[in-house]
Amino acid sequence: MGIAAEIVRLLEEGFDTIGQVRILRTGGGFDLRHVDDAGRGDLHVWCRPEEARQIAASDDAGGYRPLKTAPNLRRGWSLRVSGAEELRLALDFLYPAMIGTFLEWRAGGLMPVPLRETLGRQTGMYRVTVRITDAQAGELIAEHCKLEGGCLRKILWSLSAETPLKGLSPAKTDPDGVREGEIPLLCAEACNLLVAAARPVAKQTPPSK
Amino acid sequence: MQSKPNSALVIVGHGSTVNPDSSAPTHLHADAIRVRGLFGEVHCCFWKEEPSVREVLRMVDRDDIYIVPNFISEGYFTDNVIPREFGLEGPMTVRGGRLLKYCEPVGSHASMTRVLLHRAREATPGVDPARTAFLIVGHGTGLNDNSAKAAKEQAARLRTETDYAEVLSTYMEEPPLVADWATLTSAPNVVVVPFFISDGLHSYQDIPVLLGIEEEAGAAASQRGVFRHNPHSLHGRALYYASAIGTEPMIADVILEQVAQFDRTHAA
Ligand code: SF4
Repeated sequence: MGIAAEIVRLLEEGFDTIGQVRILRTGGGFDLRHVDDAGRGDLHVWCRPEEARQIAASDDAGGYRPLKTAPNLRRGWSLRVSGAEELRLALDFLYPAMIGTFLEWRAGGLMPVPLRETLGRQTGMYRVTVRITDAQAGELIAEHCKLEGGCLRKILWSLSAETPLKGLSPAKTDPDGVREGEIPLLCAEACNLLVAAARPVAKQTPPSK
Repeated sequence: MQSKPNSALVIVGHGSTVNPDSSAPTHLHADAIRVRGLFGEVHCCFWKEEPSVREVLRMVDRDDIYIVPNFISEGYFTDNVIPREFGLEGPMTVRGGRLLKYCEPVGSHASMTRVLLHRAREATPGVDPARTAFLIVGHGTGLNDNSAKAAKEQAARLRTETDYAEVLSTYMEEPPLVADWATLTSAPNVVVVPFFISDGLHSYQDIPVLLGIEEEAGAAASQRGVFRHNPHSLHGRALYYASAIGTEPMIADVILEQVAQFDRTHAA
């Protein structure tokens, strides 16, 4: 089954939310809006799935959103799309790759990548990130990835193959810890924003050899 | 290009953590190709934005996947970062039962010459090429970046294939410097096309300052109208400034050309 059909099946199973987006079935298609705008009738209506990019691009204050899973999706819009394929596109612009990641996780095929592996793969200006200590990494993740004001994804990766991530709340790491009907946003590997944020921290640590 | 309903196209862009201008052209080219219905599906992914190169394939249904880097030349990203992030082993990689076909970057296709020419003509309506100098501006001095070489090759092609009075490749940070445009050229009209994949600080701010159109770099790049006030009268010449070549809608065709070229090169 293709992703578009899988999304329709998820809706039939009772899923109606992903991140800060509520998905409502309408007569001819689907209505997407901010979860906090569920009952509003004064929303600006958009009709093309590509317009989801514009909605996701900036927050309510007009600031650019480099991380689409940050909890700052703007409000006041309703995006009406007509078929499963348009719905797939719109959701992929609002929460890039998040449906596919969830489906893969549910099917048992998602392979989270430990942070040390992600950092060890970096080249160029990010090669230095391998120098970050476990303690520094822990502090950085707790701040950078925090649910409130940081990122809504659930972290599935560990520090290294042997070391789990410590100090994060279960709400940040448990994919099942979401409201009923909510598709969890999953983090299978540290994103480039976190890798970039690790750079100045790692540079404080002298090279080991 | 013949239609490929059983294949997916994935366009890879650089993206940015500070503004939406970097990824916008990549998305727009993907939209344009998507509506033509040539591929079963069309996706974008980015180094600095979501979906990342690491994640994008999770949204892809097809098992036959063309990957086209939307980069201005071969270099660090196309040789190192993209292959590493996708886990590519060469032009063809089989991974998890899928065939990943890694195409050449957009900017190195020969048809870029046509795109540059189109952009220059569009910026100079009614201006005689024989009385016009054509300047391509590249970055120069990049780490393992061949964009300077690519710009030079394009200039050489334009010199032989068009009737522009002069064609030069210039750079922001290495000679021939774009800042010296007035002494590098002698034609009464000068058209300047940035050899960049998207508009950003270089094309909105830095190059206008180097050209003398702007006094100093201002803020709020995306809102600026630097491309709208052509021609600029400077040093007794008429200077026409175009936006980055990568924003030209014809780039969608170049992406398709890279797929076709991949098929020709790697015919089964
Ligand atoms: S590393 Fe994962 S959880 Fe942290 S900010 Fe990036 S995407 Fe969110």
